[in-house]
Formats: sequence, C-alpha cells, structure tokens
Amino acid sequence: MKHMTRLLGAVSLAVTSLAAPVFADGGTLVIASTQVPRHLNGAVQSGIATAVPSTQIFASPLRYDENWEPQPYLAESWEVSEDGLSVTLNLVQNATFHDGKPVTSEDVAFSIMTTKENHPFKSMFAPVDTIETPDAHTAVIKLSQPHPALLLALSPALAPVLPKHVFGDGQDAKSHPANSAPVGSGPFMLEEFTPGEAVVMKKNPNFFIDGRPKLDEIIIRIIKDPSALLIAMENGEADMYPFMAGSQEIKRLEKAEHLGVTTDGYAAVGPINWLAFNTASEKLSDVRVRQAIAYAVDREFITKALHRGVSAPQRGPIIESSPFFDESIPSYDVDLDKAKALMAEAGFADGMDLTIDYIPGPKEQQQSLAEYMKSQLKKIGINVTVRAAPDFPTWAGRVGGHDFELSMDVVFNWGDPVIGVHRTYLSSNIRQGVIWSNTQQYANEKVDEILNAAAVEADPAKRKALYAEFQQMVAADLPIYWINALPYHTAYDKKLQNVPTGIWGTMHPMDQVSWSE
Amino acid sequence: MNTSYILRRLFYGLLLMLGVVVLNFLLIRLAPGDPAVVIAGEMGGATEEMLESIREEYGLNKPVLTQLGIYIANVAQFDLGESFFFNQPVTTLIGHRIGPTILLVITAQLLSIVLGVFLGVIAARKPNGPMSAFVSVFATIGYAVPVFWTGIMLIILFASVVPIFPVEGMQSVKLRDAGFFVKALDVLHHLILPAFTLAIIYLAQYARLSRASMLEVLGSDYIRTARAKGASEGSVLFKHALRNAALPILTVAGLQFGNLISGALLVETVFNWPGMGRLAFDSILRRDYPTIMGVLFFASFMVVVANILTDLSYRLADPRLRGR
Amino acid sequence: MSDQSVTEFKAESPALEAWRMFRRNIPAVIGVIMLMVIVGATLYGTFLYGGDPFEIVWAPHEPPGVTPEFPLGTDYLGRNIVAGMLTGGGPTLAVGLAAAALTMVIGISLGALAGYYGGWVDNLLMRITEFFQVLPALLFAMVLVTLLSPSLWTIALAIGVVSWPQTARLTRAEFLKIKELEYVTAARAIGARNKRIIWKVILPNAAPPLIVSATLTIGVAILFEAGLSFLGLGDPNVMSWGLMIGANREYILDAWWPVTFPGLAIFFTVFAVSLIGDGLNDAFNPKLRER
Repeated sequence: MKHMTRLLGAVSLAVTSLAAPVFADGGTLVIASTQVPRHLNGAVQSGIATAVPSTQIFASPLRYDENWEPQPYLAESWEVSEDGLSVTLNLVQNATFHDGKPVTSEDVAFSIMTTKENHPFKSMFAPVDTIETPDAHTAVIKLSQPHPALLLALSPALAPVLPKHVFGDGQDAKSHPANSAPVGSGPFMLEEFTPGEAVVMKKNPNFFIDGRPKLDEIIIRIIKDPSALLIAMENGEADMYPFMAGSQEIKRLEKAEHLGVTTDGYAAVGPINWLAFNTASEKLSDVRVRQAIAYAVDREFITKALHRGVSAPQRGPIIESSPFFDESIPSYDVDLDKAKALMAEAGFADGMDLTIDYIPGPKEQQQSLAEYMKSQLKKIGINVTVRAAPDFPTWAGRVGGHDFELSMDVVFNWGDPVIGVHRTYLSSNIRQGVIWSNTQQYANEKVDEILNAAAVEADPAKRKALYAEFQQMVAADLPIYWINALPYHTAYDKKLQNVPTGIWGTMHPMDQVSWSE
Repeated sequence: MNTSYILRRLFYGLLLMLGVVVLNFLLIRLAPGDPAVVIAGEMGGATEEMLESIREEYGLNKPVLTQLGIYIANVAQFDLGESFFFNQPVTTLIGHRIGPTILLVITAQLLSIVLGVFLGVIAARKPNGPMSAFVSVFATIGYAVPVFWTGIMLIILFASVVPIFPVEGMQSVKLRDAGFFVKALDVLHHLILPAFTLAIIYLAQYARLSRASMLEVLGSDYIRTARAKGASEGSVLFKHALRNAALPILTVAGLQFGNLISGALLVETVFNWPGMGRLAFDSILRRDYPTIMGVLFFASFMVVVANILTDLSYRLADPRLRGR
Repeated sequence: MSDQSVTEFKAESPALEAWRMFRRNIPAVIGVIMLMVIVGATLYGTFLYGGDPFEIVWAPHEPPGVTPEFPLGTDYLGRNIVAGMLTGGGPTLAVGLAAAALTMVIGISLGALAGYYGGWVDNLLMRITEFFQVLPALLFAMVLVTLLSPSLWTIALAIGVVSWPQTARLTRAEFLKIKELEYVTAARAIGARNKRIIWKVILPNAAPPLIVSATLTIGVAILFEAGLSFLGLGDPNVMSWGLMIGANREYILDAWWPVTFPGLAIFFTVFAVSLIGDGLNDAFNPKLRER
C-alpha cells in the first residue's frame, strides 16, 4: 500500500509536470458549468446552457456593450425607419460560415424567421412580417407594428445567424441533426460535443473580425456536482465559472487567491426568484390573502440571512438593475400584525391550508425558501405543505397545468420587458400546459392595455412611464410576490483578460478574452 | 465443455435480454404523465397540434402492442431510439459513456478480488490470529459503510487535506492534446479514488469469502497430504488451497457484477465520473425515457455477458462439470 | 420462529444451543447492544423531538460543539442535526425492516417452491430469478421509485422487488439439500401433505441460514434506502439519514458535519446488524462450533 501511494505520487507529479507546457500561447479556456445543454442551437432553444456555446459558434446581427448600447457585429450598420415599421441591416462583406460559405442576407432572413417560428420566446419576433433581401448584404425587417425590443432581440443570445444551406433543408428546426453539430460564423467552431459532458470549440481562423478570437480553444465542462465543480475551479482544472448562485460557492471562491469573482455580466438576464400565486384558486383569489402573505415574508431576512448577503432584494416584476425598474413601488416590508389583519378581513381569521411547490434548482434559492415560507406563514395561521418535485417535468406539469397554490420559480427578464416580462402578466398568455406562461392566471384588462401600448412605444421616456404604471398595478394586485434577484456571479482566473461582463455576460462572443502572460 | 451447452447458454442469455426489453417497455408505459407533454415541456411549451405531431413522431399514438413490436425490432438492430432530451440516438449517448463505466467496474472488480483474496488467504492461515480478526472486522466495516459516503469522505480528505489524487472527472481537460501515454496515466490517476471506493465493499466480501473457503479447504485431507509431503506453507496456501477456493470466489464475482454496476452508479455520481450510471441518473431526473431504457438495457446486457463468461469459466475450472 | 416445530423432529433444541453460542460471541453481543442503543435513541428521539426536524432553528452551518443546544451543529438551512439524527433513524430503520420482510417473503416463497417441487416449477422460477438478477438492482429500484413517486412505502417496495433473488436462491439450495434427508422422507411416508412438509418440516430446518440472510438483508436494505435518498429519490417529506446526506452533500467542502454524522449512523446500524448476522451464522454453523 505504501509503495502504491509513492508510485501514485510519482505519477501525479509526472502528469502535472507534463501538463505545464500545454497551455502556452493562445491557450485554452475551460468554462465549468452545472447546466446541461440539449444541443447548441440558440435559435430554437432558450436557456443559458445552450446560449453560452451557441453565442460562440453563431454570430448575430448585433452585439451589446456594458451600457445596453447596440454595437455592430454581422451588421456593420443599421437604421430604424421613422414610422418604426422597418429595420434595415447592412451586413459586413467578409463574414463566412465555418464551412467557408459566405454569410448573406438570405441567411439572416432565414434565421430570424426560423427563430420566430421555433423559439419559445414568441414575443421577440412576433411583429416581424417579412424580411426583404434587396441584395446579398442588406436585410430589411418589415414589422406589423413598431417593435422597440427588436434591436435587443438581435443579440447573440437570441438571434444566432444560421447557415440556410445547412438548416434550410426542410427538416424540423427543433430536432435538426445540425443542432448538435452546428456550423456558424462565430469566433469559435465546434470541435466535439459530448452530451452531458463537454463542448469543445476551436478558434475560427477565418473569423470576420481581424485579430480575433484570441484564444485557441474554449472547453465547456459540465460538472453537475457543485463541490466537484468548486474543486475544479480551485485547482485550476477549470478557469471560469459563470452563473454561480450559491452563497457557499461564492464565498468559497472569493477566498481563492488566483480567482476573481464578479457580479457583472447578468444585467440582461434579469433572473428573478419569486413566489407565484395561483390567483384562480379559491383561497388565493382574494388579493388580501396574497398581500397578507407578502407582509408575512421577510425579504430582508431571505437576502441577508438565508442568502448571506449575496443576493439583492427584488421588489417588482422588472429586475431592479434594469432602466425600466420603478423605484417607488410598494415593497411590503414585513408586518405580521397587518398580515393577520388582512387574513381576518378576507375571512380567514382561523387560518388556512396551502401547498407550496418549487422549481427543482439551486437549493438555497428554492427549497430553502419554501421551507422558510412554511415556518414563516405558520405565524399568520397558514399551514403550508411543501410539495417537493423530484424533477423538472413533474414541477412543470403541476404549475403549467395550473395544479398548484403557491410555487417558487425563477424567471428571466431577458433584457427587454417585451421578451421576458409580458409573458407572465398578459391575460392573453394564460395557456394551460405551458410553463412560464401566465400560470398565475392573472387577468387585469388595464395591465393588458398598458403592456400592449409599451410594446409598440418607440419613445423611451414614454415607454418607461408605461412600465412604471404597470409595475404599480401588479405590485398592488400581487399575482406574484417577488423575492430576490438570483445572485449570479462569475468566478474567473485572474490571469484572464477581458472577462465577459457585458449585459449578456458569457452569453456573448468571447472573441476578446485572452490569457495574460 | 461442449458446444451445445454454450449455445444453450447463449440462447438463455438472449431470452433474458428479450425479457429486459419487454420489462423496460412495460415500465415506461406505466410512467405517469403523457410523454408527449414531457417532450413538449422540454421544448418550451406546446399547443395541442404540436403534441399531436410529437406523438406522431415518437410513435406514441399507435396501439401498445404495435409499439412494443416496433421497439423490439429496433432494439434487435441496436436502435434504442432517440433521447427526448438531447435529440440524439441513445446508442450514441451510451457509446460515449459505456467505456468509462466498464473501466471503472472492471478495475474495481480486479482490485477487490486481488486485495480481498490476499487478505482472506492471510487471515485463513491463522483462523484465530490478529490478522484474521482484522479481516473479519474490516470485512464487516467495508460492507456496512454506504459507498457514496465513503466517496464523500475521500473527497473531503483528498480535496483539501492531502490533495494527491484528483477527486472529480476522468481526465484533465488541460491534457486534451497530450500524448497517449500521458493521457493514460492521467486517466489512471483519476481512476484511483472512484475505483477504490467501489472496491471497498466487495473487497471486504471477497476477503471474508476467501477466508471461509480457505478454512474449509485447509481442513481437507488433500491439504493435509500436501503438507505431509513437505510442501512449503506458501505453496500450500497459494497453490493448493487457493486453487480449490477459487470456484466460490469466481461464482460470487459473476453474481456481484450487477451489484457493481449499481455501486458504480453512486460512485459515478459522487466523483463526476462520465459513465452510464450518471447518464441514467440524469435521465431519470429528466424523464428521458428512451435513455433510461437504453441504459437499463445495456447494463443488463453487461450482466448477462458477465454471467455467461462466469459460467463458462466455472465449467473450465471445475472438471466435474465439464462433462455436463 | 416456531421452536416447537423444530423440536418436533429433533430431541435437543438447537435454537437453545445456538443462543448459548451466540451469547459467548463478543462481537455479536456488541452488535446487539449497539443496535439496541440505536433503536432506543431513535424511538426516544422521535418521542423527544415531537417537533419538526425540518424546522429552521438556528443559523446555517453552525459547527458541532459550539452551541450547547446543537451539539452536532446545524445543516445548510440551520436545522438541528441532532433532531435529524434522532428522528431520521425511524424511517430508515422502518424501510429497512419492511424491505427486508418483503424480500424474505418473496424470496422464501419462490425459493421453497422451486427447491421442493423441482422440475418445470424450479426451471420457471429460477429463470425468473435469473431475470431479476440480471437487472442492476439500484438502477431498477430508481426507475421503480420514480414511476411510483417516492414515499417510504414505494421505496420499501422497490427495494424488496429488486433484492429477493438471492434469498430465493439460498432457500432453494437449502430445500434441495433438506428434502433428501431422512426425516423428510419419513414425513412423506407417513402421508404428510406437501404444504405441511414445506412449511412445517423443511422450512424450520432451513431456518438458520435464512435467519442469517434476513439479518444481512436488513443491512442491505438500509444501505439501499440511504443510496436512493442520497440520489434525491427518497421521500422528500420524511427526514431520514440518507436524505440528510443527500441534502447536504453539495456543501461538503465547507461543512463536513451534516454529512458525516448521518453517514456514521447508517454505518453503525448496518455494522451492528451484520455483527449480529455473523454471530448468528457462527452460532448456527456446527463446523465452526467445534473450534
């Protein structure tokens, strides 16, 4: 046994010393992730798991800087017409797909239409009627109504430009074989995709932006066990860990000397953790009951104690870091007496029984809070039963099927309220069986009116005012009690330069990321 | 050993696999909830027409028996369908994973047999000696420790206290472009903790078993004769006695194979080992039925093969059975 | 076990003799004492903590030995680990017992029929047994639990369904051996019916190895339950040792105690059970008795 340990020690030494020269020039970036992508085509699949590799492989018309300002990408310039009903994209001349074929306006038109038909975010491109292609490098998007959210929807994460000659062969885009072996025009090319294990991407030598990308290779390694992932980060097996949300993880990696930790890079994601009410259920149809629950739950305690200060409180439907957020909405600071009074007013002085579901996900954000709600709501006479779901489909089946009373959930804003916020509150989006629709079955005509007006309002100031009014109304109606912004952090090796901290974070081409000496 | 026995054994194996296929199919039919809704949910919500087209695509709208027939016919051609989650053939997914699982299971098996038998034989030499007591206690401990817990404890130990072994994954991604030899060493290095964790349970059992069968053999006339002839103690133990004690060990090794795969499932989860067990576990959480069925099929297939091999080698080893 | 039936055919009570042997076996006695302590603590604990072991009572991850109220510390939510340890034992033990009982019932019935009748009955039953042995037990149990949705009883059921084959084989082997013995032939000669011979004549004589096997099965079933809970397939509304390990394993790098203590509890329980099993085995095994 002793001999064996010594031998193994020697082996480990040999392995490490041989490893050293491998990451010299150009270099490899290893990204650790707990999220498993189904495939790599962001045109037909939402979610961060697919978006991170998809934005490396596919380029898109526009990209964004830290200040929500659109920047040229495949489109070197663009104009929005006076009436807001057409957007012209002037494409770069020198962009090619990884198979050598040029990127043309045909591809752009095909991609946006494919995304419109297949992507779960219907509102992104719903107003797009047709896309005209007057020449190979000009695409004109024709809209049925003004659509100020369109420019953000042309981001890498939402509008990957697919090669029409690959994806346009008539097969269903959602299950297209090329989704797992994609060809794009982005800075990196797919080398190997092992489902549930790793995505290996190599530098695209013919990338249309000169001198980029800097890295030779990006490897996304899927490590589902959080402690194994932390160890990989600590011992340098992985160099970057985006979408880290656990307070333990954050605090631990902050302590590692060679690692930096930042909260930048999630502005457009807008991940809100909330408690949803089934407003169609008898007990929760009374707004006073919902308000009582809001007064009973202590948002400060959750963010400060349960999340150890890593997450920020979230008071409304629009993420607090968004320019559209309205500071003046009521926050329902904890007040047990008021909560009890509201319960009594609603005729539930003797309390009630409720069930709570939660989306299977980071424990600290979901299960812990459900358990906390249970012990907190007991104080105002509500007897809560936690209905744990063993897996996502079970939970989605219950909530999507409207078979729930309270449910914890995380929903992303996705940059523009039209994309990520409207879907939750529009009464036209009450769709049985569809998760992340208006599963609260909240219906308020006035809210519908405001949202529909905001969707087409081109003037930013007026649009902001409409959203302010919307936030006041839903905060009073409380179809949802918003709790906190998910504390997404990115941990990265300090030797990395230009760590992606724009509004889309790592869901953005990492063509400028490099290793310092 | 005659051919007809081998053929018969193979036929039984085939029959067993057919049983597994039918059982798999029935289990999935038992599953609550409409698989079409599950698939649609993964795609981000669906209308009734979409559900209908999914049912069409996956053959979910045909009569059960027809579905079963199609399924068996497909499996016969090693087509296990497409994963609901990854939209890739299940055989491709399993193809990626089966190697690591076999590597882990076989290494653990060898490790446990070699170390276990060694301990058992030493213990049997002096049935009341301290070594014997140690083996008994160790065997009981090894059997009683939950394997995933051992894994976790080893991770705690080797992650922070003595970081000489990697505690997760099968290879270092930074060595992707290294030569074969370096990569092999790297895999071996990663293999140590998971294989040892898995081996501990069975190691203990082999130690106990070989101690017991050695005790039995050592008491026999045959060994007394060998001793009387003046054979050295080592030769008596390892040559004469062990050969006779090998049969029960072999039998158990064959029977344990299925349990090893079960154990591997837990160990793979703890050490992030990229094998079939983890694929199965993840697929269960995703309700990815074709993949679950596929893993059950392949895992059972491995057990059947192991059983046939055990049977045949058993016959080779035991002259009394050769004629049958 | 029915002692009368055993004495019916043998002059001296081997059970009594076995008990004498067992008593002298120090590890086995230690096992009994350990198990009594564990069961006692579990019963007492459930009584003592009539409250909710899920309740958040303190700051998360309080290390053991810092706050006197929480001698084993708190878990990631700030729940009392002592409460979990005391109340979590009951479900684990109950599932272990129930699953072992089911395993024995299925295994003994099928094994007895196969061994006694032989011929096609044996053939058929053994093929079924083989079939169940081919399926990797944990994987199969996971599928069953998922399909039936996890609760203590479905878990016990799943464990029972996947673990009976070994018992069946053992029972069959014993039956094959015993049915050729003189007293069985004698019983048959005096016209005893098959049912009576199986249950009253052979089974009691096959009891010793089966008792040992049953004991060990309890241990296996407990480990099984722990494994399923660890994977997150346990009953989420019932505190059990496996659930504690599974729930806290994400945080092992920062807090070793919430995982270590329940693991030790499982270990000591299974350890005690197998010490007892070994003791019984030695006591029943006449060969070793001579030594």
